[in-house]
Amino acid sequence: MKNKIKILRAMHNLTQEHLAQAIGVNRQTILAIEKEKYIPSLDLAFKISRYFGVNIEEVFIFDEKTPTVMGT
Amino acid sequence: MKKNTFYLIFGCIALALLFLFWYSVELHTPLLIEIAFILGIVLVFLAKRKVTDVIDDERDVKITEQATIRTMQVFWVVFCAFSIGAVMQILYVPTFPRQPMGTHPPDLLGPRMIGYIQLGLLCLMVFLYVGFRIYYAKKYGEFEIDEE
Repeated sequence: MKNKIKILRAMHNLTQEHLAQAIGVNRQTILAIEKEKYIPSLDLAFKISRYFGVNIEEVFIFDEKTPTVMGT
Repeated sequence: MKKNTFYLIFGCIALALLFLFWYSVELHTPLLIEIAFILGIVLVFLAKRKVTDVIDDERDVKITEQATIRTMQVFWVVFCAFSIGAVMQILYVPTFPRQPMGTHPPDLLGPRMIGYIQLGLLCLMVFLYVGFRIYYAKKYGEFEIDEE
């Protein structure tokens, strides 16, 4: 699951710490999502996309070629 | 309550338990440390609920969940293997005519040995959990280096 969080953060001039505090997670979680090491839950994905004021599909891109197990 | 206050309380409880463990050993009263251990854990859980900072988000919960499941999967096999051996000791009825009359099987698992094995199993559980936790923390990007 690819994502554009880093780009959106840069566009809004936000640090990982600020974003993490705003949506109630640890900074390391934002880093892990950006590095595609962790796929967020639907709840967290919606929180992130709503924080940036965009649709969820504009932040997260589902890659059918890469098999993903829920919660990995 | 701040996160650091919680860690301070946790440390104090751990020290108190260590002292009580020593005291129980000296007095030879295991009930004291057993009750204190349960109370200590309850206190830690109550203190954790009062923390207002973010300690565990969904990724931390996921890491803990995965590490716990894997630890239990390995641990129950080892524990069952040990328990089967221990149960054999109490179920032993010499019906087969293999040994001469009056000969008892060697008492391999005496109460002291069971205590040592249980201590070993407890240590194994802790090491397994720490190992799995490190593995899943790495898998879910805990040690990723930030370029910011």
